[in-house]
Parts: sequence; C-alpha cells; structure tokens
Amino acid sequence: MSSSTRQSLHPGLNLGEEHGDDHLEAETSVFGFWVFMMSDLVTFGMFFAVFATTAPLACCPGPKELFDLGSVAWQTAFLLLSSLTSGMAVLTLKQQHGARGASTKKLVFWLLITVLLGCGFLYREISDFISMAAAGGPPTRSGYLSALWSLVGLHGLHVTGGLIWCLVIVAGILVRGVDLRWKLTLLRWSVFWHFLDVVWIAIFSFVFLGGLL
Amino acid sequence: MENNKEFRHYVIGFVLATVLTIIPFTLVATVGGKISFFALILCALLQLIVHLRFFLHLSYKGQQKEDLQLVMFTGLILLIMIGGSVWVLGDLYNRM
Repeated sequence: MSSSTRQSLHPGLNLGEEHGDDHLEAETSVFGFWVFMMSDLVTFGMFFAVFATTAPLACCPGPKELFDLGSVAWQTAFLLLSSLTSGMAVLTLKQQHGARGASTKKLVFWLLITVLLGCGFLYREISDFISMAAAGGPPTRSGYLSALWSLVGLHGLHVTGGLIWCLVIVAGILVRGVDLRWKLTLLRWSVFWHFLDVVWIAIFSFVFLGGLL
Repeated sequence: MENNKEFRHYVIGFVLATVLTIIPFTLVATVGGKISFFALILCALLQLIVHLRFFLHLSYKGQQKEDLQLVMFTGLILLIMIGGSVWVLGDLYNRM
C-alpha cells in the first residue's frame, strides 16, 4: 500500500492502523455508508419541507395542546447520551486490536447501554404519540398533524431499525467474535446512530421548540 | 495516548451538545418570543457543527475533505429544496 493510504481518512470513526488491513477496508466501507446516509438525509429534508409548509389549523389542537416539553427534553437526553455511549463502543473496538479478547465484554456492555437508552427514547416517544392521539391530534385530523406524525414517526422508525441493527451486532459479536465483518458493521451502525441524533436536533428545535414559541 | 485524545473529544462534544440543548429548552420554557426563536436557530446550527465535528469527526484538515464536501453538497441540495418549497408556498399563501 502506498504511504498515503496508511493515513487515516476518517479518524475517530475508524479502526486505526493497529488493525492492519481491516483498517483499509473500513475507510472505503465507512465512506460508502456516508453516501447512503446523505441520501437518507435528503429524505428527511423532504419530510421537513412538507412540515414547514403546513400550519396548525384553528379547527384542531396545535403544538400548545399536544406537545409535552418535559417529555421532549427526556427524549433528547436519552438520544444524546446514547450517542456518547455508541462512541464509547467504537473507542472500545479501536482499542481491541483485532482478536477476540477481554474487551469484547466491554464492547457488548456499551452497545447494550446504547440499546437501553434508545428504548427509553422510544418509550417516551410512543407514549407521546398515544397521548397526542388521545388529546384529539391523530394524524388524520389535519395536514399539519399528518406532516408532524410522518416526520417524527419516520425518525422513530429509524431509531427502531437502529436498535434492531445494534442487537444483531451484539449477537454477531458474541457468536462469531469481533472479526472484520462485524467491525465494519459496527462502524457503519455508529455513523447511522450519530446521524439519527443529528436529525433529532432539527426535530426538537424546529418541530417541538419552534412549535411552542 | 491516541485513544485518550479521542475519549476527550467525545466528552467535549457531549458537554457542548448538552449546553446547546439546555439553552433553547430553558429559553422556550421561560422567556419565549422572537429572541428565543433566533437563539433556538443559532443553538441548533452550533449543535449540528458540534455533532459533525466531535461525534462524526468531520473536519477540513487532512484527507477527509471528501466526506465534508459530500455533507456540504447535501446541505446545499436541502437548502434549495426546503428553502424553495417554503418560499414558493409562502408566496402563494400571501397572495390568497
């Protein structure tokens, strides 16, 4: 390999040179996933555009009747903390130079903590959906509510997918050990998970806080 | 050593993100009004940068420019599509 490829293209979300050839595989793999992630971002952007062009109607309950600021703060805290713990999982992976070792336990620990935090987020989000529907704001009520439910629901679906993905990784690591395949999967998943937190920033700022102002 | 540095990176990012989250929530809960709205947008943009920089490790240094360019190009596309939609429909709304 030429000397230029030995340098890290994506420090942080990568394996590090101690992982040898796995490191080089990871560079292209993570970049490819970034391309997919950006196309997903455009999808989210379109849901935001639809939401931005609707306004709460006088007929139906609006943000003040439907949103629970405390619950949104809890969801934000859960997701931000889970972003940190997923980062800790990637750091643990980097420290573990390849082979199956003592830090497999540590890696699984961080991943499971992340899953727990993600479940906390989902629990809060789903109970908010239920209370919104009960307060007379189901998605069928107005254009604004349809856009709201689709945008927040799309993010919730992504989080659900991310949690399932994480559990699959945990199972894979436990059964097969931390081999190249699961290293790459873990790195891609961590990009996905951080990305969901970024989307959530936009959602809590513009949908919930912006709506309440 | 390298790992310690990265650990600090994550912690710094987490602290900054927490502060930038608490500010808008507090403003909306207590102050409200137009100033809060602008502060809200500012905090959201800053937090976006914090996440990209400290969690996703994007920067303008070294060879990661491809990543950053990809993200910025996507940002441009989003700006055109969302901004355009809001502009056109806002204009129609004002004419009604």
